Amino acid sequence: MNPKHEIVPISDREKKLNDWLKKPGGRLGHITSIDGKQLITLVLDTETGSSFCWETPIEHSTYPSLTHTVPQSHWYERTVWDMFNLTPTGHPRLKPNLLHESYAPDLVPLAHVEVNSLTAERRQYKPMEVTGEGIYEIPVGPIHAGIIEPGHFRFSCMGEVIFNLEIRLGYVHRGVERQMCSVPWRHQRFIAEAAASDSAAANAYANAIAIESLCEEATTARAEYLRSISLEVERLSMHISDLGGLAGDIGFLAISATMSRLRGSALRIGELLTGSRFQRGFICPGGVVSDPASNLMQIQKMTKQLQIELKPVLQFFFNNQVANDRMEGIGRVSPRLAIDFGLVGVAGRASNIDYDVRRHFARGVYRQDEIAIAIETAGDVMALARVRAREIETSLYLIVELIDRLPEGTVRVPLPEKLKSNQIGLGIVEAHRGELLHLIFTDNDGGVKRYAIKDPSVNNWTGLAISARNNLVTDFPLCNKSFGLSYSGHDL
Amino acid sequence: MNSALSLWLFYLLCVVFAPILVLGTIRKTKARLQNRIGPPLLQPLFDLVKLCRKSETLSKTMCGIFRLASVISLADMLLIAWIAPWLCYKPGPDSADIFLIFYLFALTRMFTMLGALDSGSAFGAFGASREATLSLLVEPAALLGFISIGALTGSSDLLQILSFSNAQLSGSPGIWLLVGTAVLLANLVESSRMPVDDPTTHLELTMVHEAMILEASGRNLALIEYTHALRMTILLGLSVQCFMRAIPSIWNAEPAVQGLINLTGIFFLAVLIGIFESISVKLQWRKVPEFIAYSLTMSLLASLIAIGGRAMK
Repeated sequence: MNPKHEIVPISDREKKLNDWLKKPGGRLGHITSIDGKQLITLVLDTETGSSFCWETPIEHSTYPSLTHTVPQSHWYERTVWDMFNLTPTGHPRLKPNLLHESYAPDLVPLAHVEVNSLTAERRQYKPMEVTGEGIYEIPVGPIHAGIIEPGHFRFSCMGEVIFNLEIRLGYVHRGVERQMCSVPWRHQRFIAEAAASDSAAANAYANAIAIESLCEEATTARAEYLRSISLEVERLSMHISDLGGLAGDIGFLAISATMSRLRGSALRIGELLTGSRFQRGFICPGGVVSDPASNLMQIQKMTKQLQIELKPVLQFFFNNQVANDRMEGIGRVSPRLAIDFGLVGVAGRASNIDYDVRRHFARGVYRQDEIAIAIETAGDVMALARVRAREIETSLYLIVELIDRLPEGTVRVPLPEKLKSNQIGLGIVEAHRGELLHLIFTDNDGGVKRYAIKDPSVNNWTGLAISARNNLVTDFPLCNKSFGLSYSGHDL
Repeated sequence: MNSALSLWLFYLLCVVFAPILVLGTIRKTKARLQNRIGPPLLQPLFDLVKLCRKSETLSKTMCGIFRLASVISLADMLLIAWIAPWLCYKPGPDSADIFLIFYLFALTRMFTMLGALDSGSAFGAFGASREATLSLLVEPAALLGFISIGALTGSSDLLQILSFSNAQLSGSPGIWLLVGTAVLLANLVESSRMPVDDPTTHLELTMVHEAMILEASGRNLALIEYTHALRMTILLGLSVQCFMRAIPSIWNAEPAVQGLINLTGIFFLAVLIGIFESISVKLQWRKVPEFIAYSLTMSLLASLIAIGGRAMK
């Protein structure tokens, strides 16, 4: 499961990556660096469930940008520039991603190399200007009207039609990745859970997988099942909440009120399973912290009850003609663009990308045919909503089914004190938003020298910007809600 | 004398409390339909009191219009409340020209829009632009029904139009039902209710009326909120007046009974709006003209009946 390490010289990198993306099952996982002296390109093969970690040594802190041939790398290159001061030459729109004007100009948080004197210009952010007669800009945020996280949207509009949307993030950058390296690895899971708190279980799970792979230990079958159940419960509650939000945005109060009540039931299932409604502190490297054996019957009963209650609500929602009208054809992302920008999770599957970590990087819990991947081709708000609705059904089925099949045994194995030295550990999980990666590099003593997290939102924020184009301003909140992305997961 | 005084008192109480209770009724209905207990009926009043006690934040770019607009709008709306026959009892003048009333409504709208533009925010500007589009569409729909009856009476005085019903139109309740419905549907648009505008949304990009008043706060906002509620109540009252004329037995009842029915009717319609808002979905912006077309169709049918009726005489 650990990614195979390979040295790729800078001259070969572009061709190799392009070839990789052309072959069936080839995906770009992440682009980052360890300490600013090299570029790490993580590539995945979804056909075999394997991964490769390409290391490219970098001199003089510059390298040729791949954005022109691999569009999805544009965002990674901006982040790497922020965090490691590695300049991608030829990047079409190089500007800060995470570090805003208020950060000291010579701060390069993750590079351990000496950096040249840097000027404040580096931090300047210029949104793309759309010019022409009748074009005007609407700035929205970073503080929004609802109780959500901060992010700045800048719309360039012509009347009511959006020409371009530029998204600026980084307002909740907390330095999660560096913090991860400074705590003992046994404590990392608590920080991981807070990286994006609505994906607490997924982040803890990814951390656990990565750490276990570095210890070369596997957990018990029972623990693996319980973790998967926990992940499905999280997916269930978040999908319900996202669909409810979608209904709320089109003013469908009956549905949104019911969905928020039903989400409460899903959170209650999570509480019965893990002792926490948001499932924090449950999954740990080596297994899970407690065995909810006495609650399993009730969890199953509640899940079945939820199944019965959800069915008519979803039917009512999807059969409403006006609701259909609001969602169909809005915020379309074509399959071609979805592939080019590497969309993952619900957004990817709504645009015909057949990729689900649960199936392609299977961990033995699910049976082959069990993850019925919900694929839609339209790529619009309706397609995203349908994918969510079908995944709710799958999750409900899986929770009941996995409890039925739950093997006996202990739920935790002891892990050695030290991680293997000079290794790469990868944790990959299908969070409710999509593919979540945790990538760990250890040093000579088995300490963590670099901890990289790639939240699914990193891929999909660009997808949202694309989906808003040529739609009405009034429909943007709908596109936004259908993607349901995380700010803190991206900003870390 | 004594009874005139008590009628005046009743009228004043209606002007002050009916808008608050109408708003409260709609909110309560919506809350009950979502299995919530909901705020008390007088919550809008508490909100107004709260707003009045808060301090105000003003944008630096604005000149005086922003503050002035809410005062002018309220004064204008009170004038309409005084002129228009939305309650059975009316202390105002003996004539109420339909064009005067509807263009006084338009005056309020114009000042709200000017105030929104004055605030200098991007939302105010596009809220105003949307409101202008809506008003353009809804105006004929709201007016045409009344005018068609006016054409029969040969007068544009709303009082004559309404009293005209007794004799000549008592046999045709259809026309009154149509006009009442047209005004009710137009009211949903005028008062920025569902399915055209979502009054409960927090999404500034989708707002129409709310976008215009985003910059308002404190007392200024209180005035705007009250004006808005009063506008909806007056229009509801006009609808009820039409519906009452469709039913002869009500129309021949005692004045006191009529007054009671009128008031009950307003709250009944408020409950209807609450139910409608709970189960309806906000329309796509491009589809809004289609919704207004319903209202216009009602008005057109009413005018057809009116013209037909005239031809028969």
